[in-house]
Amino acid sequence: MSEIPLPPIARRAAPWWLLRHETMLAAILLVALVVLGSLNDRFLTLDNLLNQGRLTTEVGLIALPMTFIIITGGIDLSVGSIVGLCAILLGYSWKSFGFPLPLAIGFSLLVGAAAGFLNGLVITRVKVPPLIMTIATLALYRGLAEGISQARSVRGYPQWFYVIGQENLFGIPAQLWLLLIAIVIAGIALDRTTFGRTLYAIGNNEIAARFSGLPVDRTKLIIYTLSGLMAGLSAVVLVSRVTTTRSDMGSGYELDVIAAVVLGGTSIFGGVGSIWGTVVGLAMIQLLKDGLALTGVKGDATIVVIGTVLILSTLVASSLQRRRDGV
Amino acid sequence: MTMTTEMHRDDTRATPLLSVRAIEKSFPGVRALSGVSFDVASGEVHALLGENGAGKSTLIKIVSGVFPPDRGEVMVDGNPVNLARPDDARRAGIATIYQELLLFPELTVAENVFMGHAPRTRFGRVDWRTMREKTNELLASLEIYDLQADQIVGSLSVGNRQRVEILRTLSQDARILIMDEPTAALTEYDVTRLFEIVRKLKARGVAVIYISHKLDEIFAIADRVTVLRDGAHVATKPVAETDSAALVQLMVGRRIESLFPKIAAPIGEPVLEVTDLERRPLTRTVSLNVRSGEIVGLAGLVGSGRSELAQTIFGVTPAEGGEIRIAGRKVDIRSPAQARSLGIAYVPEDRGTQGLVRPMTVRENFSLAALAKVAFAGFIDRTSERRLAADGVARFAVKTHSLEQVAGKLSGGNQQKIVLGKWLANQPKLLILDEPTRGIDVGAKAEIHRLMGELAAQGLAVLMISSELPEVLGMSDRVLVMREGRIVAEFSRAEATQETVGTAMMGSRKSVEQAA
Repeated sequence: MSEIPLPPIARRAAPWWLLRHETMLAAILLVALVVLGSLNDRFLTLDNLLNQGRLTTEVGLIALPMTFIIITGGIDLSVGSIVGLCAILLGYSWKSFGFPLPLAIGFSLLVGAAAGFLNGLVITRVKVPPLIMTIATLALYRGLAEGISQARSVRGYPQWFYVIGQENLFGIPAQLWLLLIAIVIAGIALDRTTFGRTLYAIGNNEIAARFSGLPVDRTKLIIYTLSGLMAGLSAVVLVSRVTTTRSDMGSGYELDVIAAVVLGGTSIFGGVGSIWGTVVGLAMIQLLKDGLALTGVKGDATIVVIGTVLILSTLVASSLQRRRDGV
Repeated sequence: MTMTTEMHRDDTRATPLLSVRAIEKSFPGVRALSGVSFDVASGEVHALLGENGAGKSTLIKIVSGVFPPDRGEVMVDGNPVNLARPDDARRAGIATIYQELLLFPELTVAENVFMGHAPRTRFGRVDWRTMREKTNELLASLEIYDLQADQIVGSLSVGNRQRVEILRTLSQDARILIMDEPTAALTEYDVTRLFEIVRKLKARGVAVIYISHKLDEIFAIADRVTVLRDGAHVATKPVAETDSAALVQLMVGRRIESLFPKIAAPIGEPVLEVTDLERRPLTRTVSLNVRSGEIVGLAGLVGSGRSELAQTIFGVTPAEGGEIRIAGRKVDIRSPAQARSLGIAYVPEDRGTQGLVRPMTVRENFSLAALAKVAFAGFIDRTSERRLAADGVARFAVKTHSLEQVAGKLSGGNQQKIVLGKWLANQPKLLILDEPTRGIDVGAKAEIHRLMGELAAQGLAVLMISSELPEVLGMSDRVLVMREGRIVAEFSRAEATQETVGTAMMGSRKSVEQAA
């Protein structure tokens, strides 16, 4: 057996069916684009597409670390509440503590990271299942946000702050740059680094990963902290876009985020997934919402369509998986 | 039994109960079976023998309807049957008992036995009384008196669970029973009882296909034996006309000169020195040392604390007291990562859950413990990763059709070679092997023993945990015996025999009885 053929594989070593899943999703996305575009001539315009990119950034930023977390077999349900907490603290520290705005931004990012770090710490040290821990902090962080805000909103930020959420840079929405850079970094990290490999190993067999000397706990701590940090960043972008802070900001984000990640082919059982899939999943959900709205479909019907798409994609994924295992 | 009554009585003597004709089966990249034929008569125990990857599992999966063959046919009572689904096999009277027992631990014996075909009352409700009665009848017919119909299966011993599984196949009127390594997890006592039951089934005319790596079992229970090698039928012989050496040769296709080729190696400085190591409850004031070039065997009963000791040294469960020195330097090992950087490698006992990431590829498994070696600033260099894996595949003769093969789909021996290989990629100074040859076939076993000998000769210190006394005695320069978390005896290679080591393992006569 000395002559093992070295297959010319340079791509990520995902099972072939996963690549197929993502490719198929991209194909469906393309078809949906064409159909929706032919129904409404405002849909397939550069302006509209860029605007949709703007709207999806807040969810997108959180979906990247969520992909990491779900690949390890974990989950983070507290991200929406962290967005709320960070948004409130951004406004509050600026208005009530008198922090200069850049410092307030830094402060709210720090709080986001700390909130995620706390999740990770309890999950790795006390071995509380991620689902339980982040349901608890989902309530806890939202409660803090409401307590601090006392139902007051903060407005009237300086003009430069709105650049992040409302202006264009080189013809592209400013926050979309943030998202694009984050996507590239996350994609490379997952695909090319020992960190990414560790995530897959944890998701597939945590004990063997530990026995192989991989830094399992440290890696988990990093991804939950990252999740909190990105939720903080999402809060900053959101506040800048809507020009105000309220304590209910970001509520329900966790479900949008998880839907995009899972639609993108990341297995909720861990071990399988990619950033590329998450990006397609994000685009799919946002463009379906928009396209249907433009075509005159009502909001509640849109949700029904998105739910159906999610179920169908799961069916396709599991039937592909079965066919592969049945060989 | 319903089908036989429809047949002509004369035919049942002439035609075998089950007959498999020229079965072929290929998977992507692998030819699993090429034209295998064999048959089993009513009342016969037919052993199926072959190395891992020889095609035994594929063959029984075809016979039990898990997947269809590409070519060839399966006949029951001389009539071709279409086994497209496991249910078809069940209806044809074929039942399979797999290594992992498929029982519901929360349910009772009777519920497990009649799962899926519970007797019904006239109103379509489960007839609990009949179910219990029938279970008791089955128990009595096999003379099993230490099992009750109402016991919860989860509370039973492995041996009793297996008996429940056998009862279940009988409750479905199975006439052909396939047993896949039924004794792998059994104590000696349970093996004896299993054989009694198999003999009773034989007397009733059940045909048994018996798969095992243990040759002595085959001589004890089987009438005929069929040997497979690389997916092909090699020979079918009456057991009375053959012997172990001949069977091994048929299986491996070559003579195995020595099962335990320990190379005499110059023994050097101590690599591992452990003094009064504590990690309650199963590591109690343990002191030992392993020198370079030396293989130290660690014997003991299951539960005597051998794996726990290994995992404490390796940092999985860090020590609570005592001292570990590596190459003379005092160290405090808190994690496997730290142990690895100190030059310790640990090949764990449970390959599937601790050693291998089964859904990942051969390449990814090979580099898992040596990522730092193939990465630059955290970025994995794919070329050197593939070279590392290709080297490992070549060095350990791993049978895989590509580096991108999912590791969990390889045979047990090949999986074990990958686990061993992934650790040796780090060039460790100390290698701890926990049951290195459990559940793998003779050929792969000999190769792993050969590798151990070579590694020791190259100056590696090896600590080998094994429950197989012949392996411990054959491979070790020194034998340590553990009992109840302590090291209770030490023997040189010359002093170590079945008797001395065995007695030390058991301790007093009282504990011998407890062990049985």
